[in-house]
Amino acid sequence: MKKMNLALCLMALVVLSGCGDKPKSDVVTYKYTPEQVYKETCLHCHGPKGEGVAEKKGPAINKQTIQELEMSLFDIKNGGLGQSTATEHDVMEHNMKKLAEKGYDYDIKMMATYIHNTFNITK
Amino acid sequence: MKSDKIIEEILIEIEKHDGGMSRRHAMKLLAASPIAASVIASATIATEAEASSSSATGKIVIVGGGLAGVATAAKLTHRLANPDITLIEPNPHSVSYQPGQTLIAAGVWDKSDITYETANFIPKGVKWIKDTVVSFDPKNNKVTTADGTEIGYDYLVVATGLTLNFAAIKGLEGEITSMGANDVVRKKVGKDGVYSVYFADGAVDTRKGIDELIAKAKAHKGPEKLQALFTDPDTAIKCGGAPKKVMYITHDLLKKAGVRDKVELTFCPSGDKMFGVPEYNAAIFEQFKVRDFKWEFKTNLVAIDTEKKMATFEKKWLEKGEYDEDLKEYTMVSMSKLVEKKYDFIHITPPQKAPDLVGKSPIGSSKGWVPVVKETLQHVTYKNVFALGDVAAVPMGKTGGSARKQYNVVAENLIAVMEKQEKLPAAYDGYTVCPLITSIGTVAMLEFNWTAKPAPSFPLDPTQERWIWWLVKVYALKPMTIYGMLSGRA
Repeated sequence: MKKMNLALCLMALVVLSGCGDKPKSDVVTYKYTPEQVYKETCLHCHGPKGEGVAEKKGPAINKQTIQELEMSLFDIKNGGLGQSTATEHDVMEHNMKKLAEKGYDYDIKMMATYIHNTFNITK
Repeated sequence: MKSDKIIEEILIEIEKHDGGMSRRHAMKLLAASPIAASVIASATIATEAEASSSSATGKIVIVGGGLAGVATAAKLTHRLANPDITLIEPNPHSVSYQPGQTLIAAGVWDKSDITYETANFIPKGVKWIKDTVVSFDPKNNKVTTADGTEIGYDYLVVATGLTLNFAAIKGLEGEITSMGANDVVRKKVGKDGVYSVYFADGAVDTRKGIDELIAKAKAHKGPEKLQALFTDPDTAIKCGGAPKKVMYITHDLLKKAGVRDKVELTFCPSGDKMFGVPEYNAAIFEQFKVRDFKWEFKTNLVAIDTEKKMATFEKKWLEKGEYDEDLKEYTMVSMSKLVEKKYDFIHITPPQKAPDLVGKSPIGSSKGWVPVVKETLQHVTYKNVFALGDVAAVPMGKTGGSARKQYNVVAENLIAVMEKQEKLPAAYDGYTVCPLITSIGTVAMLEFNWTAKPAPSFPLDPTQERWIWWLVKVYALKPMTIYGMLSGRA
């Protein structure tokens, strides 16, 4: 009985602490830099300065903090911020899938940093 | 690691639920024990490798005394040679074990099984102020409580948790927490076929509600099935698995009562998938098909008429628009319409948000959640402020399992800030765990992180429903959390 409980306890400990085998993190390489992706794709709807393009329904992205940009990009690429929550960007999620198929993928943090450093007007 | 205390608690749990552990079960568990044995070494090293104490000083104020806040207080108490910690929390039962609410609905636990006195878990030396923070003034490093007291700090940790926003659904009222006052919500929820396990009393009501559904199904005649709906809102929620767990539990209880064929179970989530991890998503689809569950994606509950037993959902979809020369694709147009569904039983997962007193304060954000660098958990604007748990703006991070990883990160990084270190040493990777209850007796232990890939702690296929994980869920996770995590040691 004692042994059994010890086993249970240890299993729980490992589950909770997540200290078992970590998934091998695949090294992801991207075909284009964030700047190339932006200039060749994003620019059409978000504008050359991130100011937005009304007729394309592309919102301005030149006032958001890096953190806001990162959360939005996570939502777009992951299709939601929760385990099963709906995305807040359903059209862009669709567009992003199409862009990724064409090689226009990017690291979320690098893209957020690029957009913020290049276009932000609130600094 | 207070392992003796934890084992003792596990024993109590097992004895309390007499009959839960049959001979057959015990055999299976022993068969699995070599796996457990293989991790003894790493577990021991991990707990003994606690860093030596820091001589950094400064006044730390922690707002919120749930699992995240208390565990952070405990960890800082261990790590600092001269801790000066104040914890502000109004609720005497703030440390309740919320993961047990689904087990209450399943009839396995009572409310008393998840209720704990916060007073017993406040670390020695920590000053506890039993009040609510009503304003944050991060520029002047102070907060104000409801009775008007101003409390200054050098360092602030925000761990207030979130608010269950039932009022966002037309026809319902109230913004509550899982263990606080809930009379307003219970005017409509917890009776007449409308239930929610998202607060402790609601979980108790849900158990009764499932019994009522069974009774109704037994008396039901005719070819048309009774309708049971299960919702999942368009906001971030705590425990992304719970909306589905309640469905599995309801299915299991209906089946055991012999009336499963009289009821149609339909999942109506706002999203368009079962789970953000493709492997788990596929596994859940299979589990749904085997159980003859129905589902309608992008169907978000917006209103309910509890008199007529009619729920209104906003159904969304994308429609093909014009061809876009720049994108070299057809554009998509977002469409929506309202659809009504009659129900005999509905389980509501309420929309959730940061408490307005936090979300609309200077430390909040346009979306409410406290904006932090998601790896370091440091506030994006105020470097002496950290946030963790449900209130932090962190993707996929609203579970006890995430808080369990986050409090160590906050404690280590806060100490680094106190020591004036340039670089913050600890980083959260988005780890979280969803012990998905798939029946009363089986659980799939879904562990993952921001890579959206499975991150199992054990060399077992995580997509499989297993009895062993049910045992861990029912007997071991609570003692581990209450006596391990809350003492800042596990």
